[in-house]
Amino acid sequence: MALTTRLTWLQEKRLQNHFGGKQFSLLYKASVHGFSAKNLFQKCCNQGPIIIVIYSENDVTGAYVQHSYQENREVPIILFVLQETEILEYKIGSHIPEILIYDRYLPLSDFNQKRLDFKNPSAGFCIYLRHKVVAMSSKVSEELGLPENCTASFQECEVFRCEDLLDKRKQEGVIKLRRILLSEMNTYDPNEEMVHQIRILLLGPIGAGKSSFINSVKSVFRGHVTCQSLVGSDPTGISTKYRTYSIKDGNDGRCLSFILCDSLGLSEKSGLCVEDIVYILKGHIPDRYQFNSMEPITSRHPNYIHSPSLKDRIHCVAFVFDASSVEQLSPEMVAKIKRIQKECLFDIGVVQMALLTHVDCLDLITAGDFPDIYSCVPVKLKLEAVHRKLGFVLSDILVVSNYVSEWELNPLKDFLILSALRKMSWAADDFLEDLEIFQ
Amino acid sequence: MAVTPRLTWLEEKSLRNLLGNASLSLLYKGSVHGYSIGDMFQRCSRQGTTMTMIYLQEETFGVLMLGHIPTIADGFEKPHISFCFSLQRKGTVIQIPTSFLNLLKVTSDCLEFSSSDGLIFSVYPEKNLLSLHHLLVKQLGLQSYSSSQFLEYEVFRVEGIKDDPDCIKMMMTATQHRRKLLADLRDYKPHADLVSNIRILLLGPVGSGKSSFFNSVKSVFHDHITHQAPVGSDNISITEQYRMYSVRNGKYGQYLPFTLCDSMGLDETDDVGLCLDDIPYILKGCVPDRYQFNPCNPITPKHPNFITSPSLKDRIHCVAYVLDINSVNNLSSKMAAKLKQIHEEVLNCGVAHVALFTKVNNCDEVLQNNLLNMTRKMTSQSQVMFINKMLGIPLSNILMVGNYASEQELNPVKDVLILSALRQMLRAADDFLEDLPDDS
Repeated sequence: MALTTRLTWLQEKRLQNHFGGKQFSLLYKASVHGFSAKNLFQKCCNQGPIIIVIYSENDVTGAYVQHSYQENREVPIILFVLQETEILEYKIGSHIPEILIYDRYLPLSDFNQKRLDFKNPSAGFCIYLRHKVVAMSSKVSEELGLPENCTASFQECEVFRCEDLLDKRKQEGVIKLRRILLSEMNTYDPNEEMVHQIRILLLGPIGAGKSSFINSVKSVFRGHVTCQSLVGSDPTGISTKYRTYSIKDGNDGRCLSFILCDSLGLSEKSGLCVEDIVYILKGHIPDRYQFNSMEPITSRHPNYIHSPSLKDRIHCVAFVFDASSVEQLSPEMVAKIKRIQKECLFDIGVVQMALLTHVDCLDLITAGDFPDIYSCVPVKLKLEAVHRKLGFVLSDILVVSNYVSEWELNPLKDFLILSALRKMSWAADDFLEDLEIFQ
Repeated sequence: MAVTPRLTWLEEKSLRNLLGNASLSLLYKGSVHGYSIGDMFQRCSRQGTTMTMIYLQEETFGVLMLGHIPTIADGFEKPHISFCFSLQRKGTVIQIPTSFLNLLKVTSDCLEFSSSDGLIFSVYPEKNLLSLHHLLVKQLGLQSYSSSQFLEYEVFRVEGIKDDPDCIKMMMTATQHRRKLLADLRDYKPHADLVSNIRILLLGPVGSGKSSFFNSVKSVFHDHITHQAPVGSDNISITEQYRMYSVRNGKYGQYLPFTLCDSMGLDETDDVGLCLDDIPYILKGCVPDRYQFNPCNPITPKHPNFITSPSLKDRIHCVAYVLDINSVNNLSSKMAAKLKQIHEEVLNCGVAHVALFTKVNNCDEVLQNNLLNMTRKMTSQSQVMFINKMLGIPLSNILMVGNYASEQELNPVKDVLILSALRQMLRAADDFLEDLPDDS
């Protein structure tokens, strides 16, 4: 009995993106509400802009009515056909939307003789609901890349309200949620009896966005985008030193209760030594230590921390991957990551998560999707791929979009960044709680 | 002219989460489409399950109506299952108290919903008037008087949920039930205060979800997904140490009076997985926290941390056999033999025991809609009968959960299953304590 659209998620998303970042609410479905223009008008009049979708055997076609459909009012109309890889459209100008729907009964012989009676010839598109037939003029057929003088039977007609995906209501909700999250992280406090600040280590392939994530976090708390050149990177911006970054509250400059630790990127051959990771996790490596791909640190190094305390240790590890290329990791890189996971997991016990950057580069994903990002099909598929390939628990795979070229903050990005940080702080709490029992 | 809901996005999120990640589509808005019953029915009939939101001066009232709204606009009275609720803002959280109704009466100017035990409310759209039975006002935590003017009236279609009334009733009431279970478990005290802490041992094949169950229990008490016990995805046991996990009542809360003891997974091959000779020592309480298991050599009294004279508090009070519901019917004969052998030890020690099925996908089908008992469908499942026969575990002690593994947020129905399972384990442990000889 459930009323659902025939559009797949991807089809719906392509249409929504094509017409300017919309979301659709199904209002009318012919097979449920009756193949009747009266019923269609009843349900769809005064609902704001609408989109009419026709499903025939081979094609999905329709009309986008750009302004609120009200009786006897002319509005701009765009005809479209949804093809495999593109959406062709044809602007037919302003018309009364009723002309698109033919209500009067026609004898069957009129179709057989192809004597079509357009209410308005300049529209060139008419849906005969009763007969489940859609007719197009030669010009319309040509513009939409369909067979000439197309008179096609269809199986279904659906009408949706078109709303902005990121409407004012949702924007306000995100801003409020961002404020809550920001306050939560500003006042975040690990178990005070143990450490004052938790350390989150970022590991990942070179170019995955670790340093960019750190800058993004700094930006969120500072209140504007910072693109500080991180000391410890080479001229191309790649990190070569171990760095521990405290994050400051933008208002009073107080250091927050978490530190982000950046390291040399992972690489199949060079990059960070796996042995160095164990030393980092246990807290032996000092800030600004210059990594050497060939040799891990030794206890003879002048700045080696011989007796690290709990505050020097890593309390949560986040593997950072670029969402758009994580599935192309080489087998050698995957093996290296799995080796790190095993040693982290078995020997140190620290919680590990995956952080996917550049989520907005995934197919069809826009910033408007961020509030419900985990419900989007391409994101779900990506998370499942990471779970299968690298073994992370699905709920521990986080997605963000870092600040790269912007000057001002965007609450949508902040929302993802702060949500990820909160998850990491919860993971660190779990790690500390596990230790506490031991002591 | 945008037609947008008055319902805030955060309120919508709370409702969607309550209904198992449904989505809402606005169909009708009184201030746009006209405050008449005819106008509303015109747009909302035959749209499947709908949710009506009525916005009062300072509060929001709602009705979830299962199945199609009838098309007949003239007067009628017929059974129609509905749930009314209110949105209650508690700090940053929105709570949704709920009541069940089963009769709908429509006249030219009034919609009236009622239940067989006398609860009733009426909506007069053209007068912008909502009239509520005083008991409903109380049940839903409203501050309004029984009759209130409303500011707006909206109807949404609800997509992505089952139309089964029992299932919806469960979802709508799960939050309240969860709260009660949490309160009961927080107040729990072991039988006659014989011990201050109940120890529950999780035993089961590799990958059956033992560590995940602990993580899920902790998640419920902390109100967010947690991951203290490591969880893997390869087909080898991640857990190699004996771990005694305590759970705090929230991040800074007191420790709760139970401990979940996690062990190495069982493997059907000899000398792989948990050594069977370790089990009597675990049950008696001789094995210390964080003991590193060796599949080939059990612990011995000579081990430096061996607990030589365990008292009642060190013992295991309840054993939970943790099994993946999707593979229990395909247990190899060797694994079955191992489980039986373990079970003999458990019986010899007189320890209480339950079976815990994990990876249950259809959590909404496990419990009756009142959330108090397992459904007959569940108790007659082949997996349940299999374990009942193999180990002789009573049906009421064969429990089911869906651990948190892929979700980003908690789900009240899953929480109820997890808490119910934990409660059954504690009840079984109490039975064990009560049955102890007086000289223990």
